[in-house]
Amino acid sequence: MAEASQIPMPVPAPRMSRVLDAVLDRGPALAAVAGLLLLWQGVVWYFEVPEYMAPSPIAVLGAFQDNAGTLWLNFWPTFFEAALGFVAGNLVAILLAIWFVHNTTAERAFFPIAVFINTIPIIALAPVLVLIFGNGFAPKIIIAGLICFFPTLVNMVRGLKAVSPATLDLMRVLSASNWEIFWKVRLQSSLPFLFAALKIASTTCVIGAIVAEWIGSNFGLGALIIEATFNFRSPLLYATVFTAALLAVVMFALVSFAEAKFIRWKTSDVH
Amino acid sequence: MVAAELHTAAGNPAATPDPGAIRVENVDVTFAEGTVVALKDVSVEIPQGAFVTILGPSGCGKSTLMRAIADLVPAAGGVIDVQGQSPRDARRDRNFSYVFQDATLLPWRTALENVQLPLEVGGAGDAHADPRDLLELVGLKGRENALPHELSGGMRQRVAIARALVTKPKILLMDEPFGALDEITRDKLNEEVLRIWRETGTTILFVTHSIPEAAFLGQYVLMLAAHPGRVKEFMKVELPSERRLADRDTLEFVQITAHLRKLLEEC
Repeated sequence: MAEASQIPMPVPAPRMSRVLDAVLDRGPALAAVAGLLLLWQGVVWYFEVPEYMAPSPIAVLGAFQDNAGTLWLNFWPTFFEAALGFVAGNLVAILLAIWFVHNTTAERAFFPIAVFINTIPIIALAPVLVLIFGNGFAPKIIIAGLICFFPTLVNMVRGLKAVSPATLDLMRVLSASNWEIFWKVRLQSSLPFLFAALKIASTTCVIGAIVAEWIGSNFGLGALIIEATFNFRSPLLYATVFTAALLAVVMFALVSFAEAKFIRWKTSDVH
Repeated sequence: MVAAELHTAAGNPAATPDPGAIRVENVDVTFAEGTVVALKDVSVEIPQGAFVTILGPSGCGKSTLMRAIADLVPAAGGVIDVQGQSPRDARRDRNFSYVFQDATLLPWRTALENVQLPLEVGGAGDAHADPRDLLELVGLKGRENALPHELSGGMRQRVAIARALVTKPKILLMDEPFGALDEITRDKLNEEVLRIWRETGTTILFVTHSIPEAAFLGQYVLMLAAHPGRVKEFMKVELPSERRLADRDTLEFVQITAHLRKLLEEC
């Protein structure tokens, strides 16, 4: 990501027309969102839906305003847990994938265990971890990490193996060592697979953190969701849900940005 | 006399005909634990600096012979001698380079970086050619920083040839390098390979299943027969070594291709 500034960018078109293009480009999506919000507001008004059951968009906007401080305070712990879980879970998955690719015995021994862990519903695992690690940050980070772990492991193993036989022949003719093949070929060719997994993980890690906060926590967006629900503070509940979604979108955007910077050769091939 | 002629043509200073670039003696190659015989009792000697094309029906083991020479498959019997060494030692000493049917460029590396790859791996520290000069030699000056997907199929194969030449190999093994290209591109590259051969004096072994290509490029044609793969004939192509595409319309050329076609039918 640090190299972003070094990549020469095409000369930008005049500013006004670019803004206009962007608006026109996203026009249908923006219109659809606006339409749905209007519909929602209309339904709430017309049927006189009580606020605790389903608040109107305007009420939710009000909740954002009134509870900005609370939302902000609870945003950070969840972001912290999700991000740390994302880094830890993916790092373990990547290292394990590297080990598996170089050691078939290890793959045969541990892959079934990885599959087994993946089959345990995360909801069921959360209380177990809370009992062990208490209700601090640790169980949330672990759960956010666990939820990232499996897709990345599977994709990374596939990516590291996705080297054509002809390329391996080439490296053999060049008398390249296994380490050189790994470093010069396998790692790079695994990147598209890795980023496909990281994009999934970027949103699921937020789910992991929030689910963990439901089970035993008095901070974070997950805890706020529970609290708002129990107190029938529906506008706040909706505002919290939107904040959580925003967090996931930010994580996804960050990963997509990194992907575009790291894999010039693939993304430019697609368009 | 034949040998002397071809060495001056190749511009190779080591004009002694004796130690061939590649000597293959009674070589057998089998697959699937000996149940499939790919090559049976193959013997051939490739003179130093020669351009030899290998022709034969599919399944005759053309590529297998090349792969055995390149230490990519082991020989079950017989002896292979590459510049006086075993294939394994020749590979470690970078005495040969291999050009595959696929360009096998690393897609995240620019043309120049792809050409530099052999200098970064396998403990390469010996004398080597300048990658930029080589890109110029294959006609890609100015495209050094292009990524493979920005290049056409023919250009990618040119990069692969430059990459093969960067270690200054004594032998170039080309395994149907233009098989996947259209005919116009292929013709152009054929002329360029001949030019590169004349300029570098490298021994070239070139697998093809195109009769005109085999006759146009080769000073010699090694014809293999199938089931099992064996030598059908090793013949000299009686054409001047300076060849142009238009020469393929001459009577002599057509006679040679007709002869090769007849041999191929007997295989």
